[in-house]
Amino acid sequence: MARNDIRLRRNRMQAGNIARHRNYGELLQRHEREQKFRRYFKLFGYFLVVAFLIILLVIVVRWEQRKKVKEKQKQTTSYVWKPAHH
Amino acid sequence: MTEAEIRDEYNILEKSRKDSRAFGSLYEKYYDKIFYFIYRQTEDEDVTADLCSQTFLNALNNVEKFEFRGLPVSAWFYRIAANEVNKFYKKKKASRVFSIEEMRVKELVELANFDWDEEMIQKLLQHLKELPTEMLEVLELRFFEDKDFKEIAFILNITESGAKMRTYRAIDKLRSYFNQKGKYDGKK
Repeated sequence: MARNDIRLRRNRMQAGNIARHRNYGELLQRHEREQKFRRYFKLFGYFLVVAFLIILLVIVVRWEQRKKVKEKQKQTTSYVWKPAHH
Repeated sequence: MTEAEIRDEYNILEKSRKDSRAFGSLYEKYYDKIFYFIYRQTEDEDVTADLCSQTFLNALNNVEKFEFRGLPVSAWFYRIAANEVNKFYKKKKASRVFSIEEMRVKELVELANFDWDEEMIQKLLQHLKELPTEMLEVLELRFFEDKDFKEIAFILNITESGAKMRTYRAIDKLRSYFNQKGKYDGKK
């Protein structure tokens, strides 16, 4: 069973043809673009983490406040004076 | 390549961590070699140009991750290029192409003390088709790129003994197809 396609090339590729594709300036531009994108992506990641932490903090603070209010309510209801039945 | 030359190239990589323009000399030096290496596995000039460009871009983007292991920097480029070719074929889901230069095959046939014969070459191509891709990869790096086993191991991410084993097995298989006796001694 043939697994790969083996081909015999009569001519070696000309160096001039390869030179047509060689362009370091373009590669450098692409690299800078990608680095910029990576930087923004990283920044966005940090922003998400910070936003998540802030949301978490707000939820915890609110939850604690509610807890305190409930406890206060409990305390006030337990001190309600009920007159004795005559 | 001498130890000093390898160090020099490594120093260029170190420099390019701070200044990407320094990478240019390595790009100019190895572009053609990497291009030929990829072209031999695709036989498509435009695809090769894309993969070659991607190879150097990946190298430049990950220059900080490069670790010095006493191997030429080119081995790292070959490794990235090999991964790019693998990714390309995985995506394309096509059978892999190995396009070899007639001139180089002629040289190798003469080195093995055989007479150049069209029928024999056709047989060789037929037998090469029967070999698994991993064996063709080591044969290509050993006989078409002149890499030593240490470099082949690094490029293909296998052990050095694994690279030797694959090469010996491939050569022995080809020998058995041609009813040739004897073991491959690791030389070219």
